[in-house]
Amino acid sequence: MNEDYLWDKSGEPDPEIQQLEEILGTLRYQPKPFEVPGNVPAPRRRSYFPLVAIAATLLVALLAGGIWLRVRTRHEPRPQYVQVPTPPVEGKPITSEPEKMPAPPKEHVAVNRVPRKRSSLPALSKREREEALAAKQQLMIALRLASEKLNLIHRRTQSTPANQIKNQHRVG
Amino acid sequence: MKILLRTPLIALLLIFAPAIVTKAQDSRIQLSSLDHLAAKASRTIEVNIDERLMRITTRFLSDDDADEKKVKELVNGVKGIYVKSFEFEHDAEFSAADVETIRAQLRGPGWTRLVGVASKKDGNLEVYLLLNGEKVGGLAVLHTDDRELTVVNIVGPVSLDKLAELDGQLGIPDLGIEPQKPKAKKEEQ
Repeated sequence: MNEDYLWDKSGEPDPEIQQLEEILGTLRYQPKPFEVPGNVPAPRRRSYFPLVAIAATLLVALLAGGIWLRVRTRHEPRPQYVQVPTPPVEGKPITSEPEKMPAPPKEHVAVNRVPRKRSSLPALSKREREEALAAKQQLMIALRLASEKLNLIHRRTQSTPANQIKNQHRVG
Repeated sequence: MKILLRTPLIALLLIFAPAIVTKAQDSRIQLSSLDHLAAKASRTIEVNIDERLMRITTRFLSDDDADEKKVKELVNGVKGIYVKSFEFEHDAEFSAADVETIRAQLRGPGWTRLVGVASKKDGNLEVYLLLNGEKVGGLAVLHTDDRELTVVNIVGPVSLDKLAELDGQLGIPDLGIEPQKPKAKKEEQ
């Protein structure tokens, strides 16, 4: 047997080797173009749209809330004044000025550690103060009116036979 | 596509659901439907004190003054007071539909009609409470007469007893809304 046949196919081949060549030759590489099978699913790209949509919704809601708060603060309903003659309120007039504490002289070494009495009225602007005073007047009128009505009902319920009182429920 | 639309909708619902629930339990009544009556009325009382004004106003209520102290205690926690009161020169200047716009709101969830009194002399008087469990979350008083329509709405917790005690106080002259009480009778009480 010429052993060169196994290296470079030169010389006389061995019949056994030839037989093996024939058997294994069917499995030889045969060049052909690459084909992608049609039934293989294409890998899906991860969609970020829902996350973006949620983020956008939150952003819009926050913006809307912010705008609403701003508009609400700007267009607070102004108190409407009611012309009711009011007698002067007796007693010390209410003032929103903070109490002035005498400042200790600078040369003093000792310091008063007693905490300063804070004014119950924090600093309010002039407009807010006017608004509050007008609202206070309104508040008194509203409460007086409500109180009058409740007392009127109270008197009527006491003087009215029970069958004329409609739909009275016990509360609490 | 359905999922894409549904996601923001669910997000919106989650954001606004608490606000919707809160709004449903809000004891503020919309009184703007009565605004047109101001032109016909011979006297109008209108009070709009919202939460912000309420906060500022309570700072101006002195603890030294007995009346103001009472008021301060009464309105502690109250988020707003709204009043519309109209008095007319003639009968039937307002319609039943005007009153119905208020009553319809008071038939809403949470509201309970505490008492209603009808009399020829004083008309119809009704008191409604907004109850959150056992707590009072708001009050509405509706008074309709031939020549008067009054709605008082207090938003927030309020004590009816304390409110009734204020009658004849507060340094405000009688508003002349109801007939004067006979003094002799008052003294007897």
